[in-house]
Amino acid sequence: MSLPLDRTQPPAPGPLRSFEFPPVPEDSLGNGLALRIVRLDRLPLVSTMLVLDAGEALLPAFRSGMAQLTGRALQGGTGRRSGEALAEALENLGVELGVSTGWDATTISLTSHADRLADALALVSEIVLTPSFPEAEIDRVRGQRLASLRQRRMSPSALAEDLTGYLVYPPGHPYARPASGVAEAVSGFDRVAAREWHAQRYRPGGAGLVVVGDVDPDEVRELATASFGDWTGEVSQPTAETPQASGDPGVRMVVAHRPGAVQSELRIGTVGVGRRHPDFFALQVLNTILGGAFTSRLNLNLRERNGFTYGVRSRFSFRRGSGPFTISTAVGTDVTVDAVGEALGELKLLLEEGPREEEVSAARDFLAGIFPLQMETSDRIASQITRLILYGLPSDHLSTYRDRIRGVSLQDAWEAGRRVLGDAAYVVLVVGDADEIAPGLEELGHGPVEILSEDSLPPFYPNS
Amino acid sequence: MSGLGIPVLEHRLANGLRVVLSPDHTVPVVAVNLWYGVGSRNEVAGQTGFAHLFEHMMFQGSSHVPKNRHFELVERAGGTLNATTWFDRTNYFDTLPSHHLDLALWLESDRMGWMVPALTEETLRNQQAVVMEEKKQRYDNRPYGDWDERLQRLVFPKGHPYHHKVIGSMEDIGAATLEDVRAFFSTYYTPGNAVLTLCGDFDPDDALARVDHYFGEIPAAPPPPPIPGTSHIPSRIGETVRDLVQDDVPLPRIYLAGRIPVYSDPGFHAAQLGMSILGEGRASRLFRNLVRGSGVAKDAGTHAFPLTTGSGMYVAWLTGFHGAEPDALAGHLTSEMEGLVEATEQELDRVKALASTRMLASIEDVSERADLLSMFACLFGTAERLNTEMDRLLAVSVEDVRSFGSEYLGEDNRALVIYEPETEDERAA
Repeated sequence: MSLPLDRTQPPAPGPLRSFEFPPVPEDSLGNGLALRIVRLDRLPLVSTMLVLDAGEALLPAFRSGMAQLTGRALQGGTGRRSGEALAEALENLGVELGVSTGWDATTISLTSHADRLADALALVSEIVLTPSFPEAEIDRVRGQRLASLRQRRMSPSALAEDLTGYLVYPPGHPYARPASGVAEAVSGFDRVAAREWHAQRYRPGGAGLVVVGDVDPDEVRELATASFGDWTGEVSQPTAETPQASGDPGVRMVVAHRPGAVQSELRIGTVGVGRRHPDFFALQVLNTILGGAFTSRLNLNLRERNGFTYGVRSRFSFRRGSGPFTISTAVGTDVTVDAVGEALGELKLLLEEGPREEEVSAARDFLAGIFPLQMETSDRIASQITRLILYGLPSDHLSTYRDRIRGVSLQDAWEAGRRVLGDAAYVVLVVGDADEIAPGLEELGHGPVEILSEDSLPPFYPNS
Repeated sequence: MSGLGIPVLEHRLANGLRVVLSPDHTVPVVAVNLWYGVGSRNEVAGQTGFAHLFEHMMFQGSSHVPKNRHFELVERAGGTLNATTWFDRTNYFDTLPSHHLDLALWLESDRMGWMVPALTEETLRNQQAVVMEEKKQRYDNRPYGDWDERLQRLVFPKGHPYHHKVIGSMEDIGAATLEDVRAFFSTYYTPGNAVLTLCGDFDPDDALARVDHYFGEIPAAPPPPPIPGTSHIPSRIGETVRDLVQDDVPLPRIYLAGRIPVYSDPGFHAAQLGMSILGEGRASRLFRNLVRGSGVAKDAGTHAFPLTTGSGMYVAWLTGFHGAEPDALAGHLTSEMEGLVEATEQELDRVKALASTRMLASIEDVSERADLLSMFACLFGTAERLNTEMDRLLAVSVEDVRSFGSEYLGEDNRALVIYEPETEDERAA
């Protein structure tokens, strides 16, 4: 440190320190429950996740929301305990149990002191294996969800999210409806529905238990066997065909009218790809360049050059099926049309002319570099491993991730982008004041602008 | 449990910069965290939102780092970064692979020492627009978005540093001049008004030498002026004040707030645990009695804000169902709050167990740990306090919690903001 400091140049990095995340041993109980245990002994803490093959995408439209609602009702009571007694038993251990349900799975997660793991696992087993779904809890959960749907309708960002799926996917496709369910189906949620869904999908076959923290793996295996060894059953895979998502290449413009809105929620969406798609790594790199980081093209344009927005991001929602690719931002009413033009222009430019070599190398460095941050804490590691189970990814996925990212060339990223995002059917959705915005959008020359009024919204939300 | 045993080394450079080092070699990453002792409390009338606007300007380049280069370099290194502004402080944080430690030190020192010459009219105009969109996105274009502004006005009198909200007003944000921004920087962004914390994979002696190398030549500066306005106010509001808002909201919602002891007061921890008994988790009073029990609430919760200047604030909220009578909802909420005077040992044990798990989880992440260390150094003069914070929570007795309830949760310390969905007729009017 004795050299005089030259402030004009960024300092050179020190020697790279290795970060090897060892492959996670694949283990399972006799009933098919996958078991993954990682020892991490920095603090006396342990994170546990139980992932169930019980996602919203499996449901027919008239049952939409039922996977989420069953998850919500899960802590309502068991054969032995009321919901209130369960809450006390868990929280006295210092544990708050999370139950989250997405398109692909229901995940039960908790973080506890390492010495509370045995008691916590026994409670999780009781809750997941023997829920009683009391009538009062079912009614409460249903009423809360209907109220939440009312809130979603009046929240510009939530409405934009719901409408994006609706506009991007064909009718009847699960992704065309909100993951939180639609009002009519939610109204029909009852004890019978919850019990049926639980009996079909809360099964060890296809499920996984992930435990990460200051634990002895042999002991955890014994605890898991004691808590989940007697659980039985398989889950069936859906047989119904989902409608193919495709449309004519082009841009469809839609404005959901909110008179007097001070800002516009803007989404540009199309159908992306599934999690197991061979272009996964190349598309991550491409998306980082377009809108996956602060210094991506979209943010530098819309925020840092033009001041249209607080921020803009693009992302692929990688699911079991082909989830959407979405550009999301909120922009001033008076600059909405310009922002749409700029965003579409950046997308087109990137696909037509390709990324620059230095952008590709920066994106690779970013994605490879932030990987250790995603593997830093017990809950983040557990979360990564649940995805390996859920999507059937190889056990060395995490240890080879950085090399796979570094192996993406400019050509790989560009070609993957053109395959998936070129010649696609795009939806431009603006939730904002149509009187101010629609005429300008027409002038962008992508055809007529459809206006959704309060009365012409899809039937997702409760009436009155 | 006595002490978390986190290694904490504290130093002060000759120019006054406080440095906290906490090595941890689990993962090859390092968190570089800076707290500046300036927030919205330091703003004078006509300049609300300045601390936050200035935070944005800190990413617009410094003498040796062009606009956006900071983000580019950190992202390219595989790091993440951001900053936030709050009542009492502004924090800046970079987390990156540990072999890039020097990069973060170079960037942070450049904007601490060589910021003013790089400020331009163009970048200021750009960030004024960005901040205005941020205000619309976070507050103006979402239901109930102005709840905190309304509560602050009721809980803290005009002239108190917490009377206005952090984001400020559109008028003040728009009126900021380059000269204002320069003056703000020179007054508050000084080594003596900052804490720099490094947490993660480094050798402490080597890291301290590097910190001195990059920050040591920044000149010392006079301490910032006293916080403007009148910080000292009575410990309670003195009455029940109400703000009825008929607005385009989906469901009726009640926000209830009042003054509580400041963070440095021993009474704060009783307030924190009391709020947790009332509103945190499914075994809390609000969930048990109002969400699950009578079912009048769709959701409900509480929070104790750890504030330092004159008074703190608690907030409780409750969302009712469609068509519910807001006054009745407010009555349910206040009567649950009053019930804290009968808190039990068992309830206190529950929230202590929750707090203990949360404390461990929060120090697992180097970025969050670094932020906590900076906070304790900045607000309490010593980062080491993190190691004993849990002990202070565990020392709170059920009598302490009950006394907090009787002193602070009565009708002489209540601000109510009541949102009532407007009817179709009102909307048309």
